[in-house]
Amino acid sequence: MRPEIAVLQEAMERQGYIADPAIATALFLAREMRRPLLIEGDAGVGKTEIAKVLARLLDTELIRLQCYEGLDVSTALYEWNYQRQMLRLRMAEDEGKTGDEIEELIFSRQYLLERPLLRAITRIEGPPVLLIDEIDRADDGFEAFLLEVLSDFQVTIPELGTLRAEHVPYVVLTSNRTREIGDALRRRCLYLYIEHPTLEKEVRILRSRVPGASARLAEEIGRFMQALRRRRLSKAPGVAETIDWAQALCHLHSEHLDRETVAETLGCILKDQHDLRELGAGELEVVLAEVAEAVG
Amino acid sequence: MRGQSDLVRHLAQFAGALRQRGVGVTLSDEADGLMALTLVDVGDRDEVRRALRAALKIRQRDAGVFEELFDLLWKVRYESSNPPVPAPGIPIPARPKAGNRPGRQATESEVERALALGDELGYSPEAVLRRKSFEEYSAADSTAMERLVSRLILRLATRPSRRRVPVRGRGEADLRRSFRRAIAHGGEFLSLARRARPIEKPRLVVICDTSGSMDPHTRFLLTFVLALRRVTRSERSSEIFAFNTTLVRLTPWVRPGRVDLTLERLSMQVPDWSGGTKIGECLGDFVTYYLDELVNGQTTVIILSDGLDRGDVEPLAGAMRAIQGRARRVLWLNPLAGDDRYEPTARAMAAALPFIDRLLPAHNLESLERLLPLLAA
Repeated sequence: MRPEIAVLQEAMERQGYIADPAIATALFLAREMRRPLLIEGDAGVGKTEIAKVLARLLDTELIRLQCYEGLDVSTALYEWNYQRQMLRLRMAEDEGKTGDEIEELIFSRQYLLERPLLRAITRIEGPPVLLIDEIDRADDGFEAFLLEVLSDFQVTIPELGTLRAEHVPYVVLTSNRTREIGDALRRRCLYLYIEHPTLEKEVRILRSRVPGASARLAEEIGRFMQALRRRRLSKAPGVAETIDWAQALCHLHSEHLDRETVAETLGCILKDQHDLRELGAGELEVVLAEVAEAVG
Repeated sequence: MRGQSDLVRHLAQFAGALRQRGVGVTLSDEADGLMALTLVDVGDRDEVRRALRAALKIRQRDAGVFEELFDLLWKVRYESSNPPVPAPGIPIPARPKAGNRPGRQATESEVERALALGDELGYSPEAVLRRKSFEEYSAADSTAMERLVSRLILRLATRPSRRRVPVRGRGEADLRRSFRRAIAHGGEFLSLARRARPIEKPRLVVICDTSGSMDPHTRFLLTFVLALRRVTRSERSSEIFAFNTTLVRLTPWVRPGRVDLTLERLSMQVPDWSGGTKIGECLGDFVTYYLDELVNGQTTVIILSDGLDRGDVEPLAGAMRAIQGRARRVLWLNPLAGDDRYEPTARAMAAALPFIDRLLPAHNLESLERLLPLLAA
């Protein structure tokens, strides 16, 4: 392994993110090649967290753009502050300024509301980390627009001219795959698919994120989650759920998994009624028996 | 020890083999791959594997094929003191089941053929294909069908978009644009700008059964699929799959512009046309590999099948539940349902029934015509 990748992996670990080599390699390449990193994977496997860790590692600002259906340029890029412009306009008229003067006045940076994309491009202090979260929720039109921004890192505002990036930001895009990301955008990025963690990795994550949980409890929880994911669930729980659950169990002062506590707290990890029912009738005991046998 | 130029050729061959198996890898991806390889330790095979997965943008559903080909083709060692591992005579490692795409294992002789560029590897072996004759296809049929399908799609297009677009006349007031306009008039509001939600185009996913029992309806089915592609011109608004014993994504192969070429391509792409059926397994594959990306709350899923399958019905019910859970609606067009005496009692059909919004007859144009009024949302 290239030493820089190992260093990055360790640094991420110190920031509380247990990364496997695939994650460290992809992030290293994205950083070196200065390309956006597109991360896909099931909900709760730690996609968004990567951007946060990267920002902490680089000691820079994290700028986040949460995508949703109907997201448009005025929420993502920039907007003029019309109300302020209007007031200034009235004042300028009273002052007897000419048309050109007024125009120059109200279409200046002062009256520009910077939205996340523009802020990421114009940040002066150094390159920020730009997190474009759940890009699959935005629509095709927005994706095409984003492609343009990510290609040139410049934005043209008709009234102001073209703004070029001070520093090219580090870009992380995440997707839950509710919609296929267009090929053009995908090609622009490097790609990382995060799987559910292995038992060993999940236990290490638990030990790091929930220090209150004993080694035994962490191991039991890890095995329980692995057993759950082997079953046919409509929503397999992610690491985020594992951590929530471990914290809940710690608050309840559980030393190990017993039937009652698990049944009461199952809502932390299973968030689908069909799945809850599936695990109700005797199945929970089977899973717990598997766990007990494995832990010994 | 191998040098840089070997690396370039090696990567090109590897990318070529991926393309042959239907994994989309472009030249720019290859360039990215090469750049990535200069940044990592090429002597570490696992690191090369990880770097290539990131740089070639290998999706999860293609991961199985990627791993398989990587194991087969990436055998030379770079910049390591060990002598290169000889390529032939090494057993093909067993692939993990999860993440493996439907398809079969490549044999060693196929690897050699794959490396001799221009040869096919795996996916669509002509040898096992039974060519289907499409002579019966007529132009008049297709025009009538197209007209019908466009009306059908209009019926399906009823959902207002979340995004608001500027409109003239009626609609809610758009304050931002009104202010903007007022500024142009020295701060006077002469008129209000308005915006409204446009009606969204539907997305369609069509899954066709091409097994032997569907044979009499093949022509109808093809006409339907072609008309659909022609009407929904945009690449992303319709997706077409065929299944019998395996599931095949036909979308890239259906080109309405070249009907003759399309038919030729289709018969090449679908292995075992007119063979047996494994509905449950195929729909299960659809759920595993495509459901998340292709089906959402705007998508209507249309399954064209007679539901005649003697296999286990449990996977079918599971797959149908998953599909219905995500799709806006699920229509099942069954050619047999055209017969008045038909009852959906075939085991597979009965298992799927609870998860279907509508079971409709479809054996000719008239039957499709009759289902139009039923599709109003």
